[in-house]
Amino acid sequence: MKILLTLLSKTLLILVLLMLILPSGNVNAIAYCSLRDPVAQISQLYPQKTNQLSIVKTVNDNTRAQVQIALPSNDLHFSELGQHTLYIAMLGKESLGYIHVRSEQSDWGLVEIVWAIDKDLKITNFAFQRCRSPKKKIAQEIGFKNIFIGKNYQELKGLLSNDGVTAKKEVLEKVQQAPELANVVLRCALKTLLLTEMLWGDELEEL
Amino acid sequence: MKSLIFNLLITFLLLFFAVISMPCYANLTENFRWSLDGSARLNQNAALDNTSRIYALGLDTHKVFTNSNGDIGYGVGQLYWTKLSNHMPVPFLFTNKDDSEFIIREAHLNYTAGPDWLPNIRVGHFTLPFGLEESIDTNGRLLDYYLGKNLGSKLDWGLSLNKVINKIEYNVSYTLGGKDKAKSVDGSYAITGRVGSLSHLDFVIGLSIFDGEIDGYSRKRLALDWQYYWTTWGLLGELALGEDDKQNQSWQKEKYGLIELNKTAINEQLKLYSQLIIRDRESQNSADKLVNIGFSYQFNTQLELSMSGGQQINNPASGKKQQLARVQVRYRY
Repeated sequence: MKILLTLLSKTLLILVLLMLILPSGNVNAIAYCSLRDPVAQISQLYPQKTNQLSIVKTVNDNTRAQVQIALPSNDLHFSELGQHTLYIAMLGKESLGYIHVRSEQSDWGLVEIVWAIDKDLKITNFAFQRCRSPKKKIAQEIGFKNIFIGKNYQELKGLLSNDGVTAKKEVLEKVQQAPELANVVLRCALKTLLLTEMLWGDELEEL
Repeated sequence: MKSLIFNLLITFLLLFFAVISMPCYANLTENFRWSLDGSARLNQNAALDNTSRIYALGLDTHKVFTNSNGDIGYGVGQLYWTKLSNHMPVPFLFTNKDDSEFIIREAHLNYTAGPDWLPNIRVGHFTLPFGLEESIDTNGRLLDYYLGKNLGSKLDWGLSLNKVINKIEYNVSYTLGGKDKAKSVDGSYAITGRVGSLSHLDFVIGLSIFDGEIDGYSRKRLALDWQYYWTTWGLLGELALGEDDKQNQSWQKEKYGLIELNKTAINEQLKLYSQLIIRDRESQNSADKLVNIGFSYQFNTQLELSMSGGQQINNPASGKKQQLARVQVRYRY
């Protein structure tokens, strides 16, 4: 017991020192050997694609601050910092659209959504990479999806209520059984489109 | 067979670099991730009455190779300087309890640009595709699914065919059985494979096989693994049946089972787990039963603290029960 307490106190000391000394970096918390491309979801969202083109960019504290300014009362989860990939779905050498995966915190842990985005940066579809809400099936129905499909950032922002984190009453009335999930999906969609434009905008214009 | 595999490895590497040397969308530094990964681990082994430490500092890299048609594949490279301090028993990569070595963890290329019907082709040093470890990476963590103990090695040099197709993903490898050495040692080899449902879903099930000879041990395994997640809870399991033959003596049946219950905080910073592991060997009078509990706390993207404790609950023939407490601090920069 004494040894464990000694270990723990030494560990805590090291932690505090590390947090004070070292600046924040742009790493991913997980080892890179565990990175997985959302292959199944990309094929589901773009069944005609022949390949995908990855563009890796860094989401840092500056990006996080810009998100907080553009979407007050919102923040990026710490796992969203680091280097992330935007995928271009390709048919031969032609770009079909973009794929962007983002996570949003919910009452059931992180919800990870794979977004399909067209060249005008409008949502064309989405699929869940991870969603442990008991109401996930409702969010996979077309009626739920149509709230978001076809909309760009400004149009989606118009669905937000004044508190900046929940959807307007008329939106929630359409998804009476899954309002929390609708709020999560809306916040995730907004941050996805905002970050796509902010970080990958220049590269996408050149395509 | 082994020289054929080695020649295939070399041919693949030459072809891979020939393809990526064509006009590329990105130069070598683009689509490139790298991180310095440092950890300090303290171990208190009550059975041996020993306290030890393991320090690791390494470079973890990931690179996506692309050209104008899209992605060609990706590579992972992980090189770690690892120092033991009074660590017993001495792991196979080291010569004494205070040794230090440069260790290659994962180092592989995966070619992904083939047509739909063609599998991805991975070449290099990689984790053997078997059981829970195939979809849950435990590299550098206290959490462990005992792949190395079950198969004789966690990582090996060789090639694998892998793909995610519709509702199924598979990964089948032929490796040389040399563990850290990129060659066959005294006829060593390993054929490993797993086919399973999509690993991102809330319910995942997989079937794995293994047939190999590593360190003079022949092993055969057939295993079933599963994961079920409900809100922030996870129930995981792995059951492996097989037999071992040490240096051509006689085949001994072996059963291995692991069940894990885990809980994750909704912000994902805190993860708790408990495991029950049962290993039943024909050569032993009774099965070994081990209970592990542990947690990890992620302060931010860089800093993680984890602790675990393991206790053997049966009475072994040797009289000394396994009892191990560990603490680890890990920092990625």
